Amino acid sequence: MSVDVHIFLAGIWYLLLGLILIVYVITDGFDLGVGVLTLLERDATRRDGMMAGINGVWDANETWLVLFGGSLFGAFPAVYAITLHALYVPVSAMLFGLIVRGIAFEFHVHAHDKRIWTLAFGGGSLLTALMQGYMLGAVVSGLPVVDGEFAGGMWSWLGAFSSVVALGVAAGYTLLGGTYLIIKTSGELQTISRRRSRHAAWIMLAAAACVTVATPLYHGYIAHRWFTMPQVFFLAMLPLAGLFAFARLMRALDRGADHAPFTWSTVIFMVSFVGLAASLYPYLVPPEISLAGSASSSMTLVFMLAGIGMLIPVMLVYNGFQYLVLRGKILQVSAERDSVTGETGAGDAAPDDHRNAGGNPAESGGY
Amino acid sequence: MEFLNDSVQLSRCQFALTAMFHILWPVLTIGLSLFLVAVEALWLKTGDVDFYRHARFWSKLLLLNFTVGVVSGLPLEFEFGTNWAPFSAMSGDFIGNVLGFEGAMAFMLEAGFIGIMAMGWNRVSRGLHFFATCMVALGASLSTFWIMAANAWMQNPAGGHVAAGRFVVDDYWQAIFNPGTITSALHMWVACLETSLFVIAGLSAWYLQRGRHVALFMKSFKTALLAAMLVAPLQIWLGDASGRAVFLQHPEKAAAMEGHWVTNPPGRGADWALLAWPDKARQANDWSLSIPDGLSLLASHSLQGRVKGLREFPVANQPPAIPLLFYAFRLMVLIGFWFLLLTARTLWLWQRGKLTVSGTPCLRRLMLAWVASMPLGYIAVESGWLVREVGRQPWVVSGLLQTAAAASNLPAAIVATTLLVYVVLYSILVIMFVILARRIIRKGPDTGLDPVPCAALAGQD
Repeated sequence: MSVDVHIFLAGIWYLLLGLILIVYVITDGFDLGVGVLTLLERDATRRDGMMAGINGVWDANETWLVLFGGSLFGAFPAVYAITLHALYVPVSAMLFGLIVRGIAFEFHVHAHDKRIWTLAFGGGSLLTALMQGYMLGAVVSGLPVVDGEFAGGMWSWLGAFSSVVALGVAAGYTLLGGTYLIIKTSGELQTISRRRSRHAAWIMLAAAACVTVATPLYHGYIAHRWFTMPQVFFLAMLPLAGLFAFARLMRALDRGADHAPFTWSTVIFMVSFVGLAASLYPYLVPPEISLAGSASSSMTLVFMLAGIGMLIPVMLVYNGFQYLVLRGKILQVSAERDSVTGETGAGDAAPDDHRNAGGNPAESGGY
Repeated sequence: MEFLNDSVQLSRCQFALTAMFHILWPVLTIGLSLFLVAVEALWLKTGDVDFYRHARFWSKLLLLNFTVGVVSGLPLEFEFGTNWAPFSAMSGDFIGNVLGFEGAMAFMLEAGFIGIMAMGWNRVSRGLHFFATCMVALGASLSTFWIMAANAWMQNPAGGHVAAGRFVVDDYWQAIFNPGTITSALHMWVACLETSLFVIAGLSAWYLQRGRHVALFMKSFKTALLAAMLVAPLQIWLGDASGRAVFLQHPEKAAAMEGHWVTNPPGRGADWALLAWPDKARQANDWSLSIPDGLSLLASHSLQGRVKGLREFPVANQPPAIPLLFYAFRLMVLIGFWFLLLTARTLWLWQRGKLTVSGTPCLRRLMLAWVASMPLGYIAVESGWLVREVGRQPWVVSGLLQTAAAASNLPAAIVATTLLVYVVLYSILVIMFVILARRIIRKGPDTGLDPVPCAALAGQD
């Protein structure tokens, strides 16, 4: 197939990977954010309530990361190899964070002493969020590549710029988590979530402002892209759109809306994401690795398009369906209940398990 | 220690640890999710509430197991890039693609429906819940296929050519259905079923032998036993087919796992070393207990079939750790036959009418044998994978890329640190899993649990 077709296919996969990544960032973003928020919560019942809000959906959210990894590996093997090699430390730390939080979530349901597991859940979530931010910061800063292999140091991802990005990402996830909890909770926990969302939003805005100013100063190729006619008009709209969404978010928080804060937080993430993609394109890993140069063969890209691309809408539908089934506010959380309860059902006619008269019969036989 | 300064060896260790740890969990997820489909179907068909209670009880264990599987699977995917960057760049055109397929088709299906399966009992209609259970099971089984297709390709890299150091696929059909895919995917899938059946039957036997919920657990015990009647002999047959495929496709691996050094001359069969100590330095067995012509019979199903000996291959291309391959292989086979024997014996007792609710106190030894057999399936799976992966060495992609050339250039201290963290994390994980699973098992099923009447769920389709 011709070079043009190849570039076109690589472009499609750039878009699809962007789509998978943004779905991941928003969905796992909010459950990681809920994790960060549990660290700020002193009351055990409220902590349990927060965690019940993401029960049943967090593993599916994480699956988008698996899909992103596999698709990046298949569509742009060179990028996959170079970035993961360069980001060995933050990627490993992120994996440790994901393992700890996932396990802590499940163990917390069954354990008698819940404090240690909620703490592990929160800590793992925060570590994951920060490491993802460091990775983003490091990729935007560029990775040195010689002969198709990473040629930098193991700690080059750690710097002032990437630290600000990491802070911004962690605050952004916390905002998503807080606004998601506004949807899932009521009463006191909802009021608290509103306040925390507002704090997180301001921290995120401050970090985003620093990053926006620092990026063209530190990275010449982005300055070139940003301040060239006529892109400047298109790109200038993005921070404006972001600020608009921020203002709407604050208003929604003030007037006590249920769904609008999460929606506007999502818009902020999407705007930032488009800005990032537009700044990097056509590079995947600046300054060496471009889109077409690192893509798999055209045949592979077509084959993947048929296999994975076509399934993305299907996956979105049944993931959405799961949210639909599990929708509704968290009612109460009590220690005796196991993992499968703690929320209202989809309709009003969702009675609890029917129990035999006489309650729970004693175990026959004994230890 | 020399070893701690070698980042390639450390990366191999880390991959071995994370892979061997991870595989423990999907094995049960795959088999148990199919068992859940079966009990839920039985409940819907017969209306027997015991099957409903089984579905609720076993899905608790499934969820705990599933979570460990999910989180321990994440590192594997990313390690390809972090620790094996040259391998990723070389094989991404195919392997990356297949991992993407696995994520999109299999894993996504599992995760997308497990929430409904776990929390949907009182929220969705019975039919829809059954559908969700089926999708979880389908996703888990599809996952086996894609992972085995990827691994089989590493053993038999078909369907493409190498250009500028990168594998380029010419024919996807040939690459996915390479000569190893079907046999190994079936062998692994049936291994998952068999391991799970023996866990289910073993746990049921534990309750039976303690006299707890005897009527309830006799049902799961018999269901698992009936399934084992099909699965245990099938696995031995598949194992034989896989073994013969190894002799054809990878004679050096086959010779290593059988401790077979010298090719048998025409007109004479190759002896099968039942027990031996293979010595790579001497290129011979230190001692052996052999069955005449046995190996020819196993490898070619004829008494005088030619079986290539390991000495035909340059020492540099021979697999390492030959005694490990030799004994891991035997352990796996032994477990396969033990499972068949135990199944046959129990079926025979059942046939004679001794396997009844009232008769369980007289079957204490038999029940204890089932309880003790619970971990054996896992041991067989790990042994099989050891033979498969260590036996492929020194190659990571057979004949195309050597393991030593496939590793990222990383400082040894960093890899040693991550390896240590994995050891600590996974140790805590296993201990906690055992504690919590024990708690669920000791508590037992909720016999007061009744399904919500259909009428209460009406209008929720």
